[in-house]
Formats: sequence, C-alpha cells, structure tokens
Amino acid sequence: MNIVELLIPELILLAGSVACAIVGVSTRRSMRDALPAVAIAALGAAIAWTLCCGDTLAEAAPMPALSKWVTVVGCGLGMLLVLLNAGTADRDYEAAVAAGRTKFDPLRTTRGEFYVFMLLSIGGLLLAAKARDLIWLFLALELTSLPTYVMVAMSRREQRAQEASMKYFFLGAMSAAMFLYGFALLYGATGTVELAAMHEVFTAQQGDVGMIALVGMLLAILGIAFKLAAVPMHLYAADVYEGAASSVTAFLGFVPKAAGAIAVMGLLWTMGMHADGWLLPPMVEVMLWVMAVLTMTLGNVAALLQSSAKRMLGWSSVAHSGYILIGVIAGPDHGGWAAVLVYLLGYGLSNTGAFAALAALRRGGNEVESLEDLSGLAERHRGAAWTLAISSGSLLGFPPLLGFWGKLLLFIAGVSSGHIVLVVIAGLNSAISAAYYLKLVALPLMGASTARSREVEPLSVQWPRIAGLIAAAAVILLPIGLPAIAACAAAVLVN
Amino acid sequence: MSLLSMLSSSVLTAAPVPVADVHQAFDMGWAGLILWLPLLSLIACGCCAMMRCTSKLPAWITVGSLAGSFVTAMFLYLNYEPPGDVVNIVRWIDLSWVGGGFEANISFYIDSLSLLWILFVTGLGTLIAFYASEYMETDLGSGYCRFFAGVSVFLFAMSALVLADNLVLLYLGWEGVGFASYWLIGYYYTKPEAVAAAKKAFIVNRIGDLGLALAVYLCWTSFGTVQYDELVTVIESGDYARMTDDWSVAAIPWLLMLAAFGKSAQLPLYVWLPDAMEGPTPVSALIHAATMVTAGIYLLARMYPVFLLDGDHTALHVVAWVGGLTALLAATIGMAQYDIKRIMAYSTVSQLGYMFMGLGVLTTYGAAYHVFTHAFFKAALFLTCGAVMHGFAGQLDLRKLSGLRHMKGWKITSYAMLIGCLCLAGFPFTSGYFSKDAILAEAFVTHGPGFQWLGFMALFTAGLTAYYTFRVWFRVCAGPVSYEAGDDHHGDDHGHDDGHFHPHAPRFAMNSVMAIIAIGALVAAVPYFMDSGVKGGWIADMVNDSTASEGIPAVRAAADHAADHAHGSLFGYDPHVAMYWVSGGVGFIGIAIAAWLHLFRREDAVSLRRALLSRSATAWLPRAMERKWYVDEIYHALIRAPLWVGSHVLHGIDRILVDMVLVDGTAKLPRLLGRWVQPLTNGTVHASATAMAGGVALLVIVVLLILHLGVFA
Repeated sequence: MNIVELLIPELILLAGSVACAIVGVSTRRSMRDALPAVAIAALGAAIAWTLCCGDTLAEAAPMPALSKWVTVVGCGLGMLLVLLNAGTADRDYEAAVAAGRTKFDPLRTTRGEFYVFMLLSIGGLLLAAKARDLIWLFLALELTSLPTYVMVAMSRREQRAQEASMKYFFLGAMSAAMFLYGFALLYGATGTVELAAMHEVFTAQQGDVGMIALVGMLLAILGIAFKLAAVPMHLYAADVYEGAASSVTAFLGFVPKAAGAIAVMGLLWTMGMHADGWLLPPMVEVMLWVMAVLTMTLGNVAALLQSSAKRMLGWSSVAHSGYILIGVIAGPDHGGWAAVLVYLLGYGLSNTGAFAALAALRRGGNEVESLEDLSGLAERHRGAAWTLAISSGSLLGFPPLLGFWGKLLLFIAGVSSGHIVLVVIAGLNSAISAAYYLKLVALPLMGASTARSREVEPLSVQWPRIAGLIAAAAVILLPIGLPAIAACAAAVLVN
Repeated sequence: MSLLSMLSSSVLTAAPVPVADVHQAFDMGWAGLILWLPLLSLIACGCCAMMRCTSKLPAWITVGSLAGSFVTAMFLYLNYEPPGDVVNIVRWIDLSWVGGGFEANISFYIDSLSLLWILFVTGLGTLIAFYASEYMETDLGSGYCRFFAGVSVFLFAMSALVLADNLVLLYLGWEGVGFASYWLIGYYYTKPEAVAAAKKAFIVNRIGDLGLALAVYLCWTSFGTVQYDELVTVIESGDYARMTDDWSVAAIPWLLMLAAFGKSAQLPLYVWLPDAMEGPTPVSALIHAATMVTAGIYLLARMYPVFLLDGDHTALHVVAWVGGLTALLAATIGMAQYDIKRIMAYSTVSQLGYMFMGLGVLTTYGAAYHVFTHAFFKAALFLTCGAVMHGFAGQLDLRKLSGLRHMKGWKITSYAMLIGCLCLAGFPFTSGYFSKDAILAEAFVTHGPGFQWLGFMALFTAGLTAYYTFRVWFRVCAGPVSYEAGDDHHGDDHGHDDGHFHPHAPRFAMNSVMAIIAIGALVAAVPYFMDSGVKGGWIADMVNDSTASEGIPAVRAAADHAADHAHGSLFGYDPHVAMYWVSGGVGFIGIAIAAWLHLFRREDAVSLRRALLSRSATAWLPRAMERKWYVDEIYHALIRAPLWVGSHVLHGIDRILVDMVLVDGTAKLPRLLGRWVQPLTNGTVHASATAMAGGVALLVIVVLLILHLGVFA
C-alpha cells in the first residue's frame, strides 16, 4: 500500500491549515469569521475519508486499525475543540477593528495561525497512532506539542499566558530530549528503529531484556509522561493550564495526552507482547504502577486544595492520566487498551464540556476562575451551569454518564489483569475526587449566588456554549451505544 | 383415610426439578403489564398530587390498574403449561461483552410458584386498594395521592420480586418493597412513633438485605449465573463443584436465610413488624400481613435446590427451629397485648414462623398453602380491625370495646372477623385448619434434630393461637355493647360537637371488601380438595412444577426415603390421621379458655392476672409477656447501646485524630512541604526542570528499591 495514501487524513488537515493561514489574513471580516468553519470542514473531511475509503495500515505498525479510531475520535473531538476556540484568538483585536478604533493589519493578526496550529497539532496526534518507527513517533509527538506552545501564548494577551508558554516550551524541550535519549538507547540495544523489528528482537530475547533496552524504555516512557502530565513530569501542568485561556486548556488536556497515551502503548507493545500473552518486564511494570499511583493521588490531592475551578480541573486532569495508566498496564489482553481508548473518549468529551462552561463565561473582562464565581450559576446561566455539572459528574465517574463507563472498563481491565491493589487505590482516589468534583456539580446548581457570581456575564461569542452543550449531550447519550463503542475499541486492537 | 395420609403414602416417580427445560416465550410481552400498570398508576398518582386533586381519583386509578394487573396474571395462569416460561420484557443488564457473561434482564419467570404468589398478591392488592379508597378518605388531597402512590410502588416492586427470572431483579423488587414499606409505615409522618417505626423497619430490613446481596454475589461467583433456570441446571449437573470453593456454596443458604428472616420478621429480626402497625391499616393488611412479609418464604422456596445441596439439610433444620421458636415466642407475646392490631401483628409473626417451620421440615407444599390461606384470613382480620379503628376514632384497646356484633352496621365486620379468627385458630374444616395441619403433621414425620419436640411445641403454639385469637373476638365482637372512643380526631365527622361519640360504621367499599376476603378465606380450603393430577390438590400442583417441588412430601418420599417416611408417629398413630384430632382438639381447648376468660366470666381474667402478679414466683410471667419478653430492651442493651457508645467514641476520635491531626495536619503538610521545596517549585523554569529531573531519578530509585525488596508480586 502506498504510504501517501495512508497519510491522506493528515494531508487533508495540512491543506486545511494552509487554507486557514490564507483565509486568516483576509481583510474581510466575514472571511476571517469563517475560519472555524474551514478548520471544521478540514477535520470533517479527514473523518469522512477515513470512514469511507480509509484503509488500515496493513503492515509494520503495532495496531493497524488503531489509526482509524484515533482519526475519527481525534478529529471529532477536534471539531468540538475548534468550535470551543472560535473567538479565542484575537478577540479583543477583532472587537477593536469592528469598532473602528484601529485598522486591520494582516501582519498583526494571529487569528488564522491559531487554527493552523490546532489542525497541525491534531495532525500530530493522528500521526502518532500510525507510527511504525521511533523517528516517526518522535516527529509525531513533537508535531503534537510544538503548536500547542504557541497556542498557549496566543490564547490571551496577558503576561501570564506568555510566561506559561515559555515554561511549557522549555520543559517540553527537556522532556523531548529525555525520550529521544530513551529512543537512542532503544536503537542501540536493538539495532533498529522500526517498532515491528524491535518487537521481533525483544521476542527473540524471550523476556530476558537487556539493561540498555530497559533503561531506554524507562526514559522514553518518562519523557512521554510529559505529554500525559504524569508524575514526575507533571510539574508544568498547573501553571500552564492556568496560564492558557480555558478553551486552550481544554485542548491541552486532551490532544497531547491522547498522543502520549497512544505513543506509550505503541512502545510497550514492542516489549510486552509475547506469543503467550501480555507480559511487561518487571521493571517497566513497577515503574508504570508507581507512576499511576503517584499521578492519581497527587493530582487528586492537589485538586482538592484548589480554590480556583480552573486549577482544580487542571490538577484533576493530572489524576486522569493516573487512571489511564491502569489500562496501559493491564495491556491489550485484558481489554486494558480498549478501555484506555474508551476512557480517552469519555475524558476528552467531559473535559471539553467542563472547560467550555468556564470559557463561555466572563467576569469583568476576565476569565471565570474561582469557585465563588460559579456559585448559584444556574439562576442566570442555566446552560453553562448544567454543562459544568454534567461534565464534572462524568469526570467523577457518576453513572450512567460516559465517564463512569470508561472508568468501569478500566477498573475491570485492572482487576482481570490481576492489579487489584492498583484498582483499589484508584477507587479510593475516585472517592477523593468526588470531594471536589461534587463541588463543581453542587455549587452552580444549588449554591446561593454571591456578589461575584452575579457579575458573571456570557461571552459575546455563542460557539463555546454550544460546544459545551454538545459535549454534555454526548456524555449523556453515548452510553446508549456503549456496547458498540466498546466492541469497536476492542476490535481496533486486534492484529 | 384422609387425604393427607394418602399424600404421604402415595408414591410418585422421582423427577428432577422441573425447571431446567422451561421454554423461552417471545410472544408474551403483554405479561409485562403486571409490572407496568402499577408503575403507570404511580405516575398518575404523582400527577394527581401535582394538580392538587382532592377527589378519590388516585384511588380509582390505582384500583383500576391493580385490577388490570390481576386480570393479566389470571391470563398468564390460564395460558400456563408446565414447566413454565421465561418471558423477556426488557433487556436490562447484559455485560457479555466484558467477559464473564453476566446477564440479568427484566424477564419473568412464569412457573406455578410465581403464579401462585402473583395471583394472590395482585388480587388482594386490588381488593385492599378498594377498601382503602374509603378508609383513607379523611386524608383526601395530597395525603391520599401519597398513599396510593405508595401502594402502586409496592405492587410494582412486589410483582418484580415474585416474577423475576433472576436474583438481581428479585433483589430490586426486594429493596423496592422495603422502600414502599418504609414509605407507607411512615405515612403519618407527623407522628413520632410512625417515623420511628418506619426507620426501625428500614434498618432491620437492611441487615437482611445485606444477606441477600451477598447471597446473590456468591451465587454468581459459585454458579456463574443468577438466572433461575441456569442456576438449577448448574446445580443439578454438579459442575459448580469444580469451579468454586466449598464454603461459598455452603454459605449461600445461610445468607438467604438472613435475608428471609429480615423480610419475613423471624427471630432475631422480627422486632420491626409489630411496630410497623403505625402505618395505615390497609397497609398492615396488604404489606405486613398478606404479601410482602411472605417474600422470605417465597425466596427460600424459590432457592430450595440450594438448601438441598447439603445432604444433611443442616440449614433447613435451623430454618425449622427458628420458625418454630418464633411462632411460640410471638404467640406468647400476642396473648398479653391489649392493642388488637398489635395482637394481629404478633400473630402474623407467629404464623410466618409456622411457614418457615414448614419449609424447614421439608414441606414447601404446607408452607405455600399456609401462605395462601394466611393471606386471606389475616387480611380479613386486619381489615376488620381497620374498620373498628376507623369507626371508633382510632380505638384499638380490646378492653374498651365490646359487643360489636349487636350494633347496627357492624354485622359484616363482626362476622368477617369471626371467619378470620376461625381460620387463624385452626377450627376444623376451615382453610387454616388444613394448611396448618399440613405443617404440623410433617414436623412429626420428618427426621431432624428434635423435630418431635418441635412438633409438640408447634401444637402448643396452635393452642395459644386459638386462645389469643378468640380473646380478641370475644372481647370486641361478643358480650354486652359498650365502647369508648379513641383519641384520634383527624376527621371532623366523628360527632364530637354534641358531646357524644357516634361510631360510624363501614360503608360499601369497606364492607364489600371485608365480605369478599372473608368468603375467600373460607373458600381457600377448597384448593386442598381440588385433585388435579398431583395428590394434595391445586396448591401441591402449583408447588410441584417449581424449584420447590422437592418439598412436596409425596415427591420426596418417593425420591429418597420412602421407607423411613412413616417412622414418625404421634401417640402411636400415623401423624397425619392423629393431627386432625389433636390439632382440632387443641384449638377447641384454646377457644374454650378464651370463651371462659373473655366472654362468660371476664372478671376471672382480671382476677387471674392479679393472682399471678401477687405471687413473686409467677409475677414475672405476665410482666414479661406484656413487655414482649424485653426483646426490644435486650436489643437496646446489646446492640443499640454499644453502637451508641461506639459511635460517640468514634466521633471523638474523628474530631481529634481525623479532623485535627489528619485533616488539618494533612492540609498543613503540603504547605510545610511546599515551604521546604519552595526553591524547587517557585514557578521558575529552571526550578521546574530540576524538580522533574530529580523526580525521574527518585522514581527510578523507588522502582529499583521495590524490585530489590520484592514487595511487588
């Protein structure tokens, strides 16, 4: 099969981003306002091509059908995220232009570029699922991350955002160096960069993997843990997530995390997949286990201590990486990876919904952040309040919302692969997380409105609110088709 | 030659439990109406409440839909062919896609046992709802809607419990009836006693529910299924033995027993039922006498194969003894009470004890028959008590009521109560006589630890039953006319204005229902004579096609110990023959004593009590009986007080250790830690980078340490 044909979804996204770049400098306001539509059209076209004529990578990738799932889910959620970000970049500048206070200057606008970066980052996620060798994987991961650094800076004209962007970039570069070093060690140990060939080498070693390869694998995973925001590479998360605009934080919480999870699964496949089933080297398994426990515990405890809803959601997204790692450890044999895929879908939707509710509101020209702003929200902003409540409920794993089923599948996978202690810890963590997620459910719906919350106003742009409502509706309605979704997720992992 | 003795001597071919080959019926979705009609009625009652309906509309809606349920159940019965059908209504829980293949649907398991139950549940439900339409009329308005909504919830849950084809749906119904019971006991929620009784019922039932939940879980882990047909197939094939530990299979009967003893008010969990009489009387009649409290018997009969797995029948022996002791204890308490509704409540506990004894002495037939007859005669007794309570402004003290049958408008009440009393006392040729004898005789026949003594004890209890039953009737309905009004003033039409109290007699709805149910109580003797294939009449026929078939004496006799079976004897005669005379005689003695002390020479009862109290050697007896053997006080001392102390100690620990040390301390810890590592995480890039690199190193060290120590299995 021609490799170019495989990359058509990514090429569509590339074409879409070029179109966005061109449209973005148009002097006509109506053209510029059509930017989200262009981006959504490109994502839709990628999904359509994948569903209609997209074939799967027949050889040399760990999970051939995975790319199809990732394309559909990634682009689908991407459409929602674009909708959420309609009006994020250059909002004040456009308003000034519209009011005639300033003239439109193509050199000054960043609006088109913002969508370019979004599409490129999603393209990176798609590529990560198709990676057949380490170099491809490295490029895909960096393609996912690099645009997000810029997006953080662009998202709002505040020093905090610039600072967050710089921090994100430098630490990201460090993590890239780390996993690239790991990749180099893996290459040194196996003599190949192709994942399939590495798998053969490790299989031939009959589970007796050498130290260099083990260290390489550990460093690679730890480096990629930056994308997942897993301990100990989580330290940037709270600052960056808070510094970026809420709509961009939603993006950061899903796209790099999904790419990281998929990359880790692809790497582990080379070492853990044996003829007689899934077995990781003890060292790798123990490290993932410790990482999972630390990540979920630290994320939840830190989220518990926050008084800002945005920081709370930021820390909680760290905790979710811990849950995801349970499925990663459980492996493909016990439905763990299928559970990871379903969980990523549920988490992505709920996360988008929760941040959309924050992004759809303003208080005195600033973002709505503190819990006090949200108290009694339902009295005046019914849609946003319910979106936040439903999404938080789903993030908590409240039945029958989608987040619950994702978590259930993860826990089932964890138990059936024998990691009962881990699942018990995760269960305790879920209970901890209830303490702060329920605040986000109860405060908007049942809290008394405060002086601060009465000052909250809706955003002038409608789209973020609509994106939130779509996400909330999906979180409620998708469980109806859960058996089909779970079966589909299980099917893409079958070689 | 009596029918009963024919029953025991006849030899039938031993057949496997006729459950494994039920067919799946796909064209019987209409059976779901039994479940959906009460649900619709619930919604309609809710709508009535929202529209502030002040008419009797909720009652008519409820009666109509319950009648619809009954007609549907009747159709099911007419269509029924052994060994039964599984009717899928709604696919509910299907986890086949995660492996393990757990499945529990909203499906009906239509066999003779569930049909028997659903027929009298829906039938009596309809009648009692009709009765309540008049009884509750003083509460027209939101209370009326709330009441009938509760009745609808109950019928919905009870139908689910009885018809369920798997233990999970049964559990749903089990919790549902518990909730409905809580709802309706606490109906008069402004009365502290009612609220306390509702809470007590709920909490005591939770203890039993825990047993059921664990039993369902163990069934799934041991047998790999919770569906009855598959369960029986697995049990008969014996495959489970390879899959599971012994203890879990052996534990199931004990857990089921706990559940049944909670729901059906047996020792040691019976204490909630007498207090439950705080609810409106139709509720006591329907839920706490006729239907819900028999759910425990249904559960054990349904799961009988699990009890028979153990060749020694140890669990069944315990069931028999607990039942027998409960019957005796409750009867002695009932003798010394003055509140007629409470007497009926203790007699319910006592009769339920007989039913469990029946299950324990291997006569599911006797137990099921007694459930059936008891449902009618006890409903009749409660409804007549309700009529008295309704008419006399809440008066229930039997010392303050007399001669009802001579009063105008109280004839039907008095004679319906008489019929109920005759059945309960086991007067010859009434329905209660046949059903109780089936159990009593079997106690003498079946081999078990001390079952002979159990039989004598049950006989003695039967005498007590006859006594306290007729104590009520002779006091309240016979004798000279005299009465005092109660202190229940919630209706304004009681005629207090002119200074005199006029009891108001029941009208059409209550009278007709009391008459129908009393006649039903008499007619309930007929199924015994209806010979339809299996000896023992229609009821035996109904039990024979179900999981409980092993408990039919004839089948069992043929199955394992035909020779042993006749060994038991009573005064040297065949117990089945002897029982007719003995139990009839015991009943007569009880009625005679009641007639002496409470009809002809009522002053003797007072002097007897005084004589007993005046001697220190005997004074404890009436006192203890009137104070219900101090069981509530004992529970208070043994369970509530230690829990109270424990909870306060824990509360103290919580305040000091958890709140002050752990929570506040933990909350301070991150800040302390933060101050300590502040140079690392002050938000600058190089600090974060250092922390990350350090974290990586630390993590690797931890991993190596864990591997080195080998704690990670």
